Amino acid sequence: MNGTQGGRSPLYVRPMPRTWWLQTRRYRRFASRELTSVAVAASSVILLALLFALSRGRDAYEGFLGWLDSSGAVVLSAIILAGVLYHTITWLRLTAHIQVVRLGRRVLPRRLVLAGLLALWGGVSAIVAYLHIWL
Amino acid sequence: MTKAKLTKPRPSRSEPVVWSLFAAGGTVAALLLPVHMAILGIALAAGWLPSDALSYERALDLVRHPITKVYLGVLVALPLYHAVHRLRFVIHHQLGLHGGRRLVAAACYGTALAGTALTVATLVRI
Repeated sequence: MNGTQGGRSPLYVRPMPRTWWLQTRRYRRFASRELTSVAVAASSVILLALLFALSRGRDAYEGFLGWLDSSGAVVLSAIILAGVLYHTITWLRLTAHIQVVRLGRRVLPRRLVLAGLLALWGGVSAIVAYLHIWL
Repeated sequence: MTKAKLTKPRPSRSEPVVWSLFAAGGTVAALLLPVHMAILGIALAAGWLPSDALSYERALDLVRHPITKVYLGVLVALPLYHAVHRLRFVIHHQLGLHGGRRLVAAACYGTALAGTALTVATLVRI
């Protein structure tokens, strides 16, 4: 950002301190939401590592499960889980704000759209858990 | 002069692609990642799972099914595009590193592409 954006008209950009996102509750919530991307990336990496271990054979796979069983991995997973849960809540709320659902000429209230999304999330999670654990 | 050139707004051709991947990845991550992290990260260590739930044989059987492979490809790869897209803005706006936007973008999307390639290669080999 500088005063010559667009090349023609000067644009004033208010100088901000580096820690602007710590200043108010709104900013902090925004920053937390953006930082869930780290948890999302970490989840993908863990799942990929598990699949990679599976592709390397029994020893590698069981070794990775052993790591998942360690206390360090549980602490890490708890932090990552908290991050992805926050991502889920904020993402579904955003979706309910953006996505307009019409029934005939009426627009479904946001609360109902959000309730539907949360129900979808619950249903999908239950199916995945069932297939993953019991099938 | 160079600076003005760099910040000059221009229509981006890659934005629609990048944003679609961000949105699709965000939705996949929101709906699917919590249950997987809860099972692998918490339930396994807590001993809440049946003893053979994640056994090598069962895992192989499950993952070798073509539908599971497609599912896992989507589950692992799409959230990467979502995450790196947000990380770009974390790097620029929260860490305050405003320079090198092209380099950061290339590193971010390059990482997501490499992750996708590794995921596909791994799934094909299982």
